[in-house]
Amino acid sequence: MASRPWLKNYEPHVPAGIQYPDKTIPQFLSDTQGKHPRYIACTFNDIDTTYEELNGKVNGMAHALKGLGVKKGDRIAMLLPNAPTYIIAYYAVLKIGAVVVNINVGTQGEELKSHLRSSEAKVVISLDIFVQNLYRIIADTHVEAVIIHSVFGLEKKLKPEEGLPAVLIFNDLVAAHPKEEPRWECLPQDLAVLQYTSGATGVPKAAMLTHKSIVASITQILAWLQVPDAGNAAVLCIIPFFHVFGMNACLNLSVAKGYRMILMPRFDWLDLIPLLTVIEKYRPISVPAVPSLWAALLSSPRAGSELFAPVAVPTSGGAPLPEWVQKRYKELTGRRIYEAYGLSEASSAALFAPYPGGAPGGSIGVPLPDTEARIVQIEKGLEEVAPGEVGELLLKGPQIMQGYWRNDPLTRRTLQDGWLHTGDLARMDEEGFFYLVDRRDDLIITGGLNVYPSDVENVLAAHPALKEAAVVGTPDRMRGQAVTAYVVLQDNATVAREDLIAFCREHMPDFKIPKAIHIVKKIPRNPVGKALRKALRPEGGEKT
Amino acid sequence: MRELLDELKQKIVTELELTDIQPEDIADDATFFKGGLGLNSVDLLLLIAVLDRDYNVVIHSRELGEQVFINMTTLADYVMQNRR
Repeated sequence: MASRPWLKNYEPHVPAGIQYPDKTIPQFLSDTQGKHPRYIACTFNDIDTTYEELNGKVNGMAHALKGLGVKKGDRIAMLLPNAPTYIIAYYAVLKIGAVVVNINVGTQGEELKSHLRSSEAKVVISLDIFVQNLYRIIADTHVEAVIIHSVFGLEKKLKPEEGLPAVLIFNDLVAAHPKEEPRWECLPQDLAVLQYTSGATGVPKAAMLTHKSIVASITQILAWLQVPDAGNAAVLCIIPFFHVFGMNACLNLSVAKGYRMILMPRFDWLDLIPLLTVIEKYRPISVPAVPSLWAALLSSPRAGSELFAPVAVPTSGGAPLPEWVQKRYKELTGRRIYEAYGLSEASSAALFAPYPGGAPGGSIGVPLPDTEARIVQIEKGLEEVAPGEVGELLLKGPQIMQGYWRNDPLTRRTLQDGWLHTGDLARMDEEGFFYLVDRRDDLIITGGLNVYPSDVENVLAAHPALKEAAVVGTPDRMRGQAVTAYVVLQDNATVAREDLIAFCREHMPDFKIPKAIHIVKKIPRNPVGKALRKALRPEGGEKT
Repeated sequence: MRELLDELKQKIVTELELTDIQPEDIADDATFFKGGLGLNSVDLLLLIAVLDRDYNVVIHSRELGEQVFINMTTLADYVMQNRR
């Protein structure tokens, strides 16, 4: 087998290797505002900001941060949704050589304190609606300044205790400082972003992403998703910028191309209501979305071919795209949604469905240019497995992180000889297309034999009395681990354990049959729908 | 109105796949978000799609959503008045 069999699936215009520009992330903004100053950079609540205006505000904030004593290498925490504030702060921090600390806006309490303490963030930039959350924990952090974008004036209700930083107002700071370029302190090899990530295993950690790795990622995706010159085309920015998917696929890519970012922040549950109207109005060229959002969009009677006609680049990531969603999109438009596989540790995408040719159903595509991928044996992680066999997915490429912030042991376990051990189980077919199977950490080894939870789950979920199932390994004195299933019944259904066991026996070898089956009301899942297997416990459910 | 309320509760449970609740457990004044049914923004998009599909009721703005999605009864009222 060829060492990189996937190369034959590359579209003719995509090179196997790329010359990466020796630049920093804010250079993309500088280039675009130089070439197209009057292009609209972003639209928020129907208010447009041009690239020239945006750059001026970025510079104002950059000067303000310097005035607050921010120096090269200092960490600046951003607790912001998709709004002009995020974009301005992001480029301002980077221009002066400081480091963006990306934190999910939903983070609060001990977890927020932990992120701020571990990153040693000097400044926090956030919204007034989060200010109470912030001040509950800020005393136990290194934060010296708090910059708040005041939307509802809620910061006025805050009475910070003595010794705590007073609130500074974002727009006031920008307005009070010059629009001229600050002295740029960033270099390609510098740390640019600390990306807090937990994935499906629940333990937060921060991937260290340099300007170089993020620029490489942007360059790879630009080479992959080539579309004819689309001028100031719109991009629907609904994936949060604080995730690498949003940061790269929406923010950095749009700025690199001079696209118009249609910002859709998600403050509360009502925010997505106008989504279809927004798509109709702005006719975006690119819609990156998670599978559950595609599913909701395509469930609407208004989701017709006309709605998606301008969308040249519909992409999906974060979780596997259900087959019915892909099928429905094809029925409506005659085209496909392009799935990508990425992770914070890879600055965003590492594998992508070829564009426009696509990938086989269920595939996460092929490695991007200059990206190596291997599937290795699970136990020892040394030898590559044959095509079709399942193993752990390893990645190598210019977009891979430097390591985890202040966590050398975890870095050593995850990055070995330049290879990123993703913790995901996958397989590669003979043609070089990759398929995600499961998370390595969830693999069950029972009596020396491997059981992939998804194999058992898929069988159980096919039982007519069951709505869904999740399977985990539990300690077993004789076997090491036992296969344990948690199942949710269909409405008004009942089923005996014996029936479920008999059903399993018909469909799988004995060693995979669950030793225990718990009936539960709900299976915990993370925001992109992945079952949180580690959170599963016999929660008072009826054990059968 | 009673019939419509019950019908909406059934649809919410079925279409949004709320596995840990029965339609009859949903109070007429049940709210939709935290403290109520616990729906998120994607669930709401799906619910809006169902209203459009099954009742020809279109909810396309946040402002309208704020008025309609106060609780089950306000939703049923709106559907009753605007269904086609």
